[in-house]
Amino acid sequence: MTTVAAPRGRRDRQRAVPAVVWLFLLIPALVEIGMVFWPALNSFYLSLTKWNGLGAAQPVGLDNFRDLFSDDVFRGALKNNVIWAIGFGGLSVLGGLGLALALNKPRRGVGLYRSAIYLPMVFSLAVTGLFWRVQYQPDGTINTLLGAVGLSGLEKQWLADPDTALYAVLVAAVWRQVGYVMVLYLAGLKSTDPTLDDASAVDGAGAWQRFRYVTWPQLKGVNTVVFAVTVIDSLRTFDIVWAMTQGGPYHSSELLSTYMFQQGFTFLNLGYASAIAVVIFALALVFIITYLIRATKEEAS
Amino acid sequence: MTTAPLSRRGFLAGLGGLGVAGILGACATGSDDTSGTASSTLTLQSSLSDADPKAALTKVVEGYTKNKVTLNTIAIETFRAQLPTYLNSGNPPDVLTWYAGSVARDYASKGFLLDVSDLWTGSGPCAGFSPALKELSTADGKQIFVPTNYYWWGVFYRKSAFQEWGVQVPTTWDEFIQVCKTIKSKGVAPISMGTGSTPWVASGWFDYLDLRINGAEFHRDLLAGKHPFDGPEVKAVMDHYRQLVEYIDPKGRSYSWQDAVTPLNSKKAGMYLIGAFITSAVPADGVDDLDFFRVPIIDPSVPVAEEAPTDGYFASAKSKNVSGAKDLLAYLAAPQSQQQFIQLSKSSNLPTSQQVDTSTFSPLVQKGIKLLNDSKAITQFFNRDSSDELQTTADTALTKFLDRPGDVNKILTEWQANAKKVFGQ
Repeated sequence: MTTVAAPRGRRDRQRAVPAVVWLFLLIPALVEIGMVFWPALNSFYLSLTKWNGLGAAQPVGLDNFRDLFSDDVFRGALKNNVIWAIGFGGLSVLGGLGLALALNKPRRGVGLYRSAIYLPMVFSLAVTGLFWRVQYQPDGTINTLLGAVGLSGLEKQWLADPDTALYAVLVAAVWRQVGYVMVLYLAGLKSTDPTLDDASAVDGAGAWQRFRYVTWPQLKGVNTVVFAVTVIDSLRTFDIVWAMTQGGPYHSSELLSTYMFQQGFTFLNLGYASAIAVVIFALALVFIITYLIRATKEEAS
Repeated sequence: MTTAPLSRRGFLAGLGGLGVAGILGACATGSDDTSGTASSTLTLQSSLSDADPKAALTKVVEGYTKNKVTLNTIAIETFRAQLPTYLNSGNPPDVLTWYAGSVARDYASKGFLLDVSDLWTGSGPCAGFSPALKELSTADGKQIFVPTNYYWWGVFYRKSAFQEWGVQVPTTWDEFIQVCKTIKSKGVAPISMGTGSTPWVASGWFDYLDLRINGAEFHRDLLAGKHPFDGPEVKAVMDHYRQLVEYIDPKGRSYSWQDAVTPLNSKKAGMYLIGAFITSAVPADGVDDLDFFRVPIIDPSVPVAEEAPTDGYFASAKSKNVSGAKDLLAYLAAPQSQQQFIQLSKSSNLPTSQQVDTSTFSPLVQKGIKLLNDSKAITQFFNRDSSDELQTTADTALTKFLDRPGDVNKILTEWQANAKKVFGQ
């Protein structure tokens, strides 16, 4: 019976994909190709041209990329992006993981804490930016607090000082992201096996050992997601910087994305802006691919 | 719940259509020859997205009955970015709001703007406008712009505050510095200036000092790339600017131009060099106490020049209804429309038509009209006399200078290098 049933089952499955399903798949594929891939490919082409939105684009070869690397603002933005990726990624992952561990065990009021920490994620980045801009004002909450505890020497114009502007924005961005990472890790912790934790505790493992050798290896799947999300979020950061400093003062908090926006949509140097976009794309790709290769290798071994 | 739910088939067909449209529309560099049919409906593309000016223009357009007009209001940042696309498309808006000056001339040189010279001759609606406005609206010997209102810049202050501090309105540079000193001695910041999220405000003093020291012609040439930013003339400007730095409210670095009006209002700051649009940021009861004076004269041998950024309309060269577009422009430029727009938009803008009855305008506005009538030359503002891209080089240089006035030479060298890149494109 079973030997007869198997090929029939396969034929049934083949017949179970009617033409209409292909049509259903084709439509989103067309939308995706038309509205995502084609424009993306276009921006690759544009990065090799000079174009201000009028008439035909002039091919200029790799000139845009040569100009980029002799452009101080671009190099500053690239450096800021590295600081941003490390600061934003590091702080939000550490903070999120720490909070998730602290709030994992059910106890009184834990839901309230979790929601409170997740709440900033609900606001749009532009609103977060506005909110923090008020805090950072010369007479705003932060300076007032510093003054109140006798640290008026530390009072600063946080967003107007080129030494602090980028970090001030970073704090605001991490404040928002940390709740998101926490939720991802809370979900991850839910899928760990509590009996393993209990068993190792019985065997006399300390809290750190239990986390490092029992819990952490079980979080591998979540880590991949968190890593990808964090890298992508840090490279595409735009709104919060734009809302808080617009890359200023004098380009000191410029990121690749804000510089790209300015070149593309304020100055209409669309070729040059596309070249910056290609650099951002390449960076994201390199990070993600390296990580995925490492992750699959580890899994294989 | 009377609306029928969207049928799945209809939805999918729509999606498929979107996909195809996306593919067709995504030919980013191709010419977009949309199949526009000539129609009698005129399109007016407007960047006036603030509530009052938007409502005012809507009302003015409602009064136009000869042709049907569709008014499209678009947020100014989007409008700025999309403007070349609007003008270059196969079926462009017929009439568009924008600024007079180098941007309009630049579009005219590419052949995007309709020649409206006939509105400026004979009994045309612009024939009575001042020669300075005509020159401003001219590119290659043709008029391509219809100015409908403009505003002035000045050093704004509160009359009651000056009285309290016992200071008089200064007319010379030395008097001005003396006033700054006196105000500072009262524990008040003499000059307010919001260069945080609006760093272009710092160009106000730069423009004016250049106009007072080197004159309007040099200033225009400088912004057109004919003089270097690290030359002796600009250094002289920066020497004067440097004398001001100690009197500028340092908190202004964190403020937008609107935020920086607050200290002026609460008498925590004395003066503010800004455009007449300041009245929109002053509470209604404070406007009567607000006054301004002309930026003090530095070199009496230099003809007095003022900034008077001019707003108005141009028409697209590819308009399908040229006579209709011109007729709409004529309507918008007519004295009644100008008056209606200025009053409804609650601005302190001045009409370009001399036939507008300005006797009902506030004393402040009357004074603004006189200020401009008394000046020998008119400039627009840094970005309008050059480009938004050159403005960014100025923002970088000037905000850096305000932080580190000692590095002025290095900053000017950098500025020149950045400006050269902009002009090189």
